Amino acid sequence: MTQGNDQDPYIALHGLQKGYRMGGEAIPIFSGLDLSIPRGDFVAVMGPSGSGKSTLLNMLAGIDRPDAGTLRIGNSRLDQMGEAARSSWRAHHMGIVFQFYNLLPMLTAAENVELPLLLKPLSRKERRIRVEKVLDLVGLAGREKQYPAMMSGGQQQRVGIARAIVSDPGLLLCDEPTGDLDRTSADEVLEMLRFLNRVLEKTIVMVTHDPQAALYARRTLHLYKGDFVEEKRAA
Amino acid sequence: MSTHTKQTLVMIRANLSSLPRRLAISVSMALSVALVVCVLAGFLAMAKGFETALTGAGSKMVAVVLGGGTNQEAGSDIPAAVIRTLDAMSGDIGVFRDSVGNLVSSREIVVPVDMRQAADGTARTLALRGMDAAGPSIREGITLSAGRFFTPGAREIVVGDRLASEFGLHVGDTVRLGAVDWTVSGHFSARGSTFESEIWADLDAVRSAFDRQGQVQSLRLRLADPASLKLLQDKLATITATPLVALSEADLYAAQSGRTASLIRLFGWPIALLMAIGATAGALNTMMSSVSDRTVEIATVRALGFSRLSAFLGTWVEAIIIASAGAILGLIASWLAFNGWQASTVGANNARMAFQLAVTTDVMLTAGLLGVAVGMLAGAISAIAATRLPLTAALRAKG
Repeated sequence: MTQGNDQDPYIALHGLQKGYRMGGEAIPIFSGLDLSIPRGDFVAVMGPSGSGKSTLLNMLAGIDRPDAGTLRIGNSRLDQMGEAARSSWRAHHMGIVFQFYNLLPMLTAAENVELPLLLKPLSRKERRIRVEKVLDLVGLAGREKQYPAMMSGGQQQRVGIARAIVSDPGLLLCDEPTGDLDRTSADEVLEMLRFLNRVLEKTIVMVTHDPQAALYARRTLHLYKGDFVEEKRAA
Repeated sequence: MSTHTKQTLVMIRANLSSLPRRLAISVSMALSVALVVCVLAGFLAMAKGFETALTGAGSKMVAVVLGGGTNQEAGSDIPAAVIRTLDAMSGDIGVFRDSVGNLVSSREIVVPVDMRQAADGTARTLALRGMDAAGPSIREGITLSAGRFFTPGAREIVVGDRLASEFGLHVGDTVRLGAVDWTVSGHFSARGSTFESEIWADLDAVRSAFDRQGQVQSLRLRLADPASLKLLQDKLATITATPLVALSEADLYAAQSGRTASLIRLFGWPIALLMAIGATAGALNTMMSSVSDRTVEIATVRALGFSRLSAFLGTWVEAIIIASAGAILGLIASWLAFNGWQASTVGANNARMAFQLAVTTDVMLTAGLLGVAVGMLAGAISAIAATRLPLTAALRAKG
């Protein structure tokens, strides 16, 4: 089942196959998955445990490779890239927001946000200006020198979002971004993602279990046993 | 600064900043490395101190003639006729002559004697060397630190500074060596060389006291210059009464020290290496624990696009830094414990030979490098594990 707009898709998956071996037994996850996501879309991916949400996200992030099929993002064929090339591609085109924030506890908020910029040929001053700008954007101006342990979960996730967008990637992958937050903090984070999509035109793919979180997306795809079974568009 | 360097620096900083989380196991790794370094430094310092004591005693300007086909003083015997023949040789034989044309030489014998230590009263075997009056002045680096040298014919002894302090011998004291009493006439310094382990007395007095009339074990001669040894050897070859060997004093002691120092190292290195293998296993355990502790952090930065190399170097440098800290600790401990520590062994004639352990720069460098090598090896293995962390599993773990 092909999902989404096929006109100039930003993300295009065709015939994607992926499986794992467990105890000598092959366990297929995807057996020919197709997906098209246009630039500027905000897609929520839902589904029960074991449906393949995380596997899909890992392949979109270039952390994992499909066994067969094509996986194109922009003009890049991730399925044909080696590990180092995918790593470099991630650094330049993608931001990742993690469920448990994955901030380095020994670095300050500003230093955590600065991490992706270390992969770019920028001066210290240029990096500092960008970090201050995105921290201001996520409402954390003045907290540059605070360590993660000194922040609430919501604030830590906003640092995580700032880190994901500081290098101005076109694509944001969010892995259960509100899974570890209370409702109020979750709504703040989701508003932030919606802002990034609507105002800054970031393409966002968000894996979530939370139906309320999915409401912030432009559309929701439901995965079941390795295939999309339903699509809902936001009102 | 390149992006690779920046990534690596961040990884190193992140690893080192998280060390307090693994304080106990990191300290144990540093201590095990320190122990390895300490043991090796101890053995090497012993070998170095022994070498220093013996090689410091030898001079290229002094020839030692031995008879009877041996190249050690212990079994040597030079007949009086040979010495007379040598004295009678006219012209240049490579040996320095005094103002009246006599060879500057010293006939010597070494007799083992027992002496009781001042501290615990235990008897030790020491070397009593009988020599001609020129004996002290032929040797290099000998200075009188108290009293005077022995009077020819008198039962007087001069003792090395090291022995004097160890056995509580003062100028004017009387000590019994063999069957007769001797008066301490002075102390001498030999810059810490093996000579300081000896007791010197007049040749005839020693021969008379120990019933060695007419015996000469070695003949020391001051050479005109180091190259003159060859000329002396050629002249000695013309004396056919007994096989004679002439070698420089430096070579004589170097040969002695080389054998014993090699033996010390032969024991020291295997023990240190065995301990190093144990320390490497411990360090590997520590570093694998470090990698495990930082799984989420490593996976996160790798997911952000950091290279495998930065993950490798971050872990590797952490291991090297901990091992280096351990090595420095071990070197400080070994320097404090061993440097200048008095040791002794049985030298020629079964006499005791004292020496000081020397934790020199090259000893510290060698032992320190072994300690760092432990960290480098264990760190490299765990660093490879860090680069192979499954990002997919790590990203789902709660950090």
